[in-house]
Parts: sequence; structure tokens; C-alpha cells
Amino acid sequence: MATAVVTEGLTKDFRAGFWRSRPHRALDGLSLEIPTGGVFGLLGPNGAGKSTTLKILINLLWPSAGRAQVLGRPPGDVDARRRLGFLPEHPTFYDHLTAEELLTYFAGLFGYSPADRRARASRFLDLVGIGADRRRLLRHYSKGMVQRVGIAQALINDPELVILDEPMSGLDPIGRRDVRDLILKLRDEGRTVLFSSHILSDAELLCSRVAILAKGRLVASGALSDLTAAQPGSGDGWEVVAINVPPEVADRLTARVRRATCIAPGRYTFELAPEVRPETLVTDLASAGASVVSLTPVRTTLEDVFMERITR
Amino acid sequence: MMLRRIGLVAWHVFKESVRDRVLYAIGAFAMLLVTAAVVFSQLTAGQDLKIMKDFGLATIELAGVLMAVFIGVGLVAREIERRSIFSLLAKPLPRWEFVVGKYLGLVLTLTVNVLAMSLALYAALAYQHWVAPLGVRASWPAPASDPRLMIAVLMIALELALLTAVALFFSTFSSSTLISVVFTVGIFIAGLLSADLRAFNDVVDAPVLGYLVVGVGWLVPAFSAFDVKNQVVYGLPLAPGFVLHTIAYTVAYAAAAVGAAVIALRSREFK
Amino acid sequence: MTGAKPTAFGILAVVGGLALSASLLYARDHRYPPPPVTQRMLYVTSGSVVGRVMLTFDALAADVYWIRTIQHYGRDRKSRLQSGRFELLEPLLDLTTSLDPMFMTAYRFGAIFLSMAPPEGPGKPEAAVALLEKGLRATPDRWQYAHDIGFVHYWQTGDFTKAADWFERAARMPKAPSWIGPLAATTRAQGGNRVGARQMLQELLTSPEAYIRQAAERGLLQLQALDAIDFLQAAVDEYFRRHGQYPANWSDLVRAGLIPALPLDPSRVPFVYDATTHHVKLGPGSPLAPLPQGFQR
Repeated sequence: MATAVVTEGLTKDFRAGFWRSRPHRALDGLSLEIPTGGVFGLLGPNGAGKSTTLKILINLLWPSAGRAQVLGRPPGDVDARRRLGFLPEHPTFYDHLTAEELLTYFAGLFGYSPADRRARASRFLDLVGIGADRRRLLRHYSKGMVQRVGIAQALINDPELVILDEPMSGLDPIGRRDVRDLILKLRDEGRTVLFSSHILSDAELLCSRVAILAKGRLVASGALSDLTAAQPGSGDGWEVVAINVPPEVADRLTARVRRATCIAPGRYTFELAPEVRPETLVTDLASAGASVVSLTPVRTTLEDVFMERITR
Repeated sequence: MMLRRIGLVAWHVFKESVRDRVLYAIGAFAMLLVTAAVVFSQLTAGQDLKIMKDFGLATIELAGVLMAVFIGVGLVAREIERRSIFSLLAKPLPRWEFVVGKYLGLVLTLTVNVLAMSLALYAALAYQHWVAPLGVRASWPAPASDPRLMIAVLMIALELALLTAVALFFSTFSSSTLISVVFTVGIFIAGLLSADLRAFNDVVDAPVLGYLVVGVGWLVPAFSAFDVKNQVVYGLPLAPGFVLHTIAYTVAYAAAAVGAAVIALRSREFK
Repeated sequence: MTGAKPTAFGILAVVGGLALSASLLYARDHRYPPPPVTQRMLYVTSGSVVGRVMLTFDALAADVYWIRTIQHYGRDRKSRLQSGRFELLEPLLDLTTSLDPMFMTAYRFGAIFLSMAPPEGPGKPEAAVALLEKGLRATPDRWQYAHDIGFVHYWQTGDFTKAADWFERAARMPKAPSWIGPLAATTRAQGGNRVGARQMLQELLTSPEAYIRQAAERGLLQLQALDAIDFLQAAVDEYFRRHGQYPANWSDLVRAGLIPALPLDPSRVPFVYDATTHHVKLGPGSPLAPLPQGFQR
């Protein structure tokens, strides 16, 4: 099956308080297609509707309008649930259990044999780096450790589709790197990963496709490379910073470059289009007596795309 | 398969109660009261065996009621509040199995606790038997370690199973623990008075109000129907049919309450 | 699959469970009614023990016992028990008044119903008097208690001397109504009479307790029946004076124009005329029987 998740016009209204008649629209007509395989990022600021979308897919919430399909089935279908894994936002589990007990419990719900349950618990706890602490009570775990356990429980059934709601939240930089590596590993194993995040830079490193939400609406979706390439205005290219640039040289060069900015007397930033090789400019500057301070490749970031789409 | 999942949920409820220190406090409280019964009965000559049996059974019942209410109203509500239910419901566990599993788990917990306290009571009664002179023993209407006490204990267990079902129902749709406790206790008291409510028309002549009250008396779970303490303590006979009917009643009503809880949970969204 | 709507199975389980459980309970209580002995055990009969156990909720406990008193009275009144009727009335009233010594209605209830002869009551006038004396110990100025002791003697024991003593005591208490003094005097002079009886019953009609009001109404009807019997007896005697022989039946009296029609007592049961003794009596099955004795005009 080529599509892991499909939504059509998905809308969710929440009643804001008992007395107010006008509901709060958390999701407005979201239509998405998430193909199998690869990492899909559901992005947007807080309150954009990301968690709401994921919860509808898991059948924790019901749409006010529109439909969704997960692995070809309606949300909440038991067969679909067998083949997916879910990590909720800010997960909490059972304080009185150890990590190992929690995982064997959840594994048991899938119907694995007792030996298989223990094997899986071990394997996934090792995978997320909790191996040594598996027999300690969850009550004593740090936030980062709980997050890791959460990922482990989401994988316990070797799911085809892994849905992670803000998987990096609460993690330190090491933890975030581990999670990123894990997500890439899952992708390499052929699974589909759908995760939500408000940190766009994480998505850039991981996702092949993204959808950006703002205030419940879809503002951008597609392959990451397409989105950043299609961004008008800024684009890939080069940025050269030079000092001791004589003014007449600066004027001459301004015509050849996309943009030249004077930061201080004699200090200029030149932005070059990606087709233009920077070596020519550098040589020219050098022969004009200027010094190149830095030469940096410039790429359009997702953030650029996002900010542009939001303000549109 | 479904039984295995239900069993897993139930087992984990039991496990949590074992690891939860609050339960030990209630258990200790019960043991203390049984000890007090021993002391207390030394002060009242002649009636001590009856008093100990009555007091012991009442203590077991009271401890059980406290556990059933306070743990029962949190069974589902706490999972929802802590959001641990999110990852659980993403697993292939139907919501109805979750509710039934939680119910059976608490019933198991209460049964184990009640049995433990009964053993303590039997021990205390055996001690009474041991220290009593032969003449006094002959005057007892029923033996000290009377196995028929277990019928009263069975009735208490059935009563708790019914009360747990009611508490569970409130747990599934009310998010306020306080409200759930108040309603559960209210229904419990109404149930204790249900025999009087059903006999309302015998005592008072009020046409419309009478039928309303009698109706409530039939609808409310009849917690007064489990009281066989008098029969057992006095050694009076208890027909097996009576016990069987009571068991069937408990199963039927608890099924209704658990069914209502399932309906309530299935219509809940989780924000 | 979870949806917002409850399934048919779910609704069936709930409704069916409730219906099934109710019918099981009904069946059980019918096939295995609890033995009457155990129904009627009062585990604690000492008010002071209950008071201590109830901590500061004495008044509440008194209310609960009061409710049980009324229920016990009501249930036994409707039941067809032959022996042991109202046997818990005395201990229940004792408990109620021990827990709340100022519970006037309980004392007055006991005055009337404890002293009533079977099958209307347990027939324990001495218990009623003891209860009222307990009330006087708690509140010595309650004229109603003294009056009620007189009432018990007036209506049940027939000891009009004691009745007069107590009426006099009541008359001396604060807030006693003005008719008690004369009542004491006439009781001492003539014994029981209907005027005094009527006065007492009128006073009881103002009680907040329904059963007491019912008893007072019944008493008034009984007095009316006594008046009617006097009138009918006078008619019989008049017939004898006019015709030299006693009438054979009511029709004779009607034809003689001495009574307008076949006489019915206030509960609409016909009076009976006994042709052999020439006496008028209440009809059999009249709810006003037995009529109180000792009440001359």
C-alpha cells in the first residue's frame, strides 16, 4: 500500500467552555496524504493543531467533519492498531511499574507469548538506551528517560507506522541526537515515521516530506526539497563577507551579485545565486585589495518557508 | 485472546494495589479494629463472642467499602487524568475490555483483602475459643470459628463487587474525584435503605410520592440485601437458594453498571 | 470500534441488567423471606451506648430511631401478626427519647400508642406512663407530659383519681391551657366524661404527627358513637314507655317516628339492636370498636 495516512477535509471544533456558543476550531479542512516509507514531519507552532490531528488518527478524538484513514482503515480500527505505534505528547505511564514491566504489559496486549514479550522488552529498551535501568520503577525516571521508554513502547510491536507526538520534547541535546538517529534507523528499516514538532530545524534533518500547520490550517505541504527550492526571494547560494573593500569595487560587484549589504565602512556581505561560482568573486576581491572574512553556502531553511507562508 | 487482554489489565490493577501503600494503611486499620474487638469483648461478659463476630464482620465490611469507593472512583479517572490511557488505547485493546479489566482487577484486590482480614478474624475467634471454659462454650448459639461466617464474608464480597461497579461507573464519566465519591457514597446509603424505600407504601399512604419512592427502591442497588450478619452470628439457617439468588442479583446489577461504564467511556474524547 | 453512540448491546446490557436484577431480588425475598425473629432484633437497647457510639450525632440518631419507630408502628398496624405486635415500640421509643430527651412528639406518641389495648397497640399503659415520667425528668415544665399521663389513666386504665391528680399538676405548669383546671375538677368529681375527653382529643388534633391526629379523630368519632348510642337507647326506652313493650327491631322505631332512619355509626356501620337485652351496640366489624368504657355524659 502506497499511502500510510490519508485525511480529507479533516475538521475539529472544540466547545470553548460551557457558556460560550462559538466553538474553537482547532483543525480546519486538513487534507493530507502521507506515503509509506520515509519520514513525514507535521510541523507548526504550538496550538496549530498537530496534536489534534495525531489524536484523531489514533481515535482519541473524533473529527467534527471530514475523514481520515490510517493504513487503509478508519481510525481506531483494531487491525490498524496492531500495525502502528504511538507516542503521546508529554507521556506518563505507571509509576508503580518498572520499564521492563511496562513493556511486557504492552507487549502482552498484542498477544505475544511470555518469552516473546520479554525478548521484545529487552530489545527495545536496549535500543533506546534504557537497558541498564530497566528494573527501576518508572517513578524514579527522569523526563528524558520516560521519553525514551515512550519511544520503546511505541515500537514494541514492530509497527509499520510509527506516530510520534513531539518526540524531542524534554530531551537534552544528546537525547535529541539519539532520537534523530533512531528515527533515521526506523526509516532505513522501511517503516513510515510520522512525527510532529515545533522545532523546524529537527525536521530539516529528518524529513523527506512535511506539512506545516498554522491555526488549524495547512499552509504548506510536500517534499522538503521542493518547498525550499520553490521559495521565491531567497534561495540557495553563497554568502561572502569581505573587509577593506573599496567603494568603487563594491559598486562594480553589486551588479554581478544578488544582493550586497554594507555592514560597516569597507565591510560588505555579498549574496550570490547558486549558479554563480564564488571563486570568481573571491579572486576579484582579492585582486582589489579586499580580504575575504568568510565564505558560507546559503540554503533556504524550512523556517524561511514557514515564516513566508505564515505572513502570506 | 480477549480474555488474556482483560486478564492483563486486571492483573495490573491488582499489582498496583499491592504496591500502593495506602492499602496497607487500610489493612492495618482493620487489623487494629479486630484487635480492639478482642479487648472490647473482654469488658462485656457473656456476649463477647457475638460482639466479636459482629464487630469483626462490620470492620471487614467498612474497610472494604472504603477501598471500593476510594480506589474505585479513581480506576479510570486517574488514568484519564494522568493521560496514561493514551498509550494504552493506541494498543489493540478495545475500550470495553479496558473497563471490564479494571473492574475485575479491583474485585480481585478486594477479595484478597477481605479474605486476609477474615483469616485474622478467624484467628481471633479461635483464640476466644481456646481461652473460654467449656461451660461458656456450650452456651454459644454458634461455634467460635464457625465456617458459616464465610457466608457472611461471601456476602460482604458480593456487596463490595456491586459497590465497585457503581464507583467504576462514576469513574468513567466524572473527572472530579470529589463528585464521584459523593455520588457513590450517596448511592451506597440509598442502597442500604433500599429495603425501607421498597416498603414505603406499607408504612405511609402517599399515592404519587409513594410509587416514586418505591421505584427508586427497586432501581437503586440493594446494598441492604447482603446483610446476613444476624443469621450467621446467631447460627440460624441460611438456604443455599438465598445465597445463589444473591449471587445472581449481584452479577446482573454489576453487569448493568459496568455496561453503563463502558458506554460512558466509549463516548469520551480525550483532549 | 469506538463511536459516540452506544451500541444496542450496551443498552441492552444496562437495561436488561437492571430489570433482571430487580426481578431476582423480588424472587429472592419471596422465596426466602428473612425469618421474622431476625427482622425484629434490636442489637442495642441502651440509649446511652448508642449515644456514645454516635458521638455528636445524637439528634440525628434520635431521628433515625424515630423513623424506625414510625415504620415499626405502621408495618405492624397493617400486618396480620397475631402475637408480638408492636413489641419493639417500647424499646424504640426509649432509645429515641434517650438520644433526644426533648423530643416531645416521641413521648406523646408513646402516650397514645403504647397504652392502646391490642390489637391496636401493645397494651402497655404502665410503659406509657414510665416514658412520660422520663420526659418530665428531662423537662419538668412540660404540661403536655403531665396531661398525657392523665390521658392514659383517663382512657386506658380507668383510674380517674390518678387522672385528676395529673391534670391538676398539669394545670399548675406554665403555659397550661385554661381548660385543664376545670377538667381536673370535673374528673375528680364525676370521673370520666365526654366533655373532658373531647377537650383532650381536640388538643391532640393539633399534633404534628399524623398517626396521633388519626388517633384523636378516631377518639372523637368514638365519642360521637357513644352519644348516638345514648340517643338510640333513649329512643328504645321511650318506645317502651309508649307501647308497653320493647321494639323488635329498628323498623319499629322508625315507624313509631322515634328515629328518622336505620341508624349508622360515624364510620357508617349500622348500629345493632339486641332485642333480647334491649341494648344498642356498635355493629360487628365497626372500626370504632371497642368503645372506651367509663364515659358517662
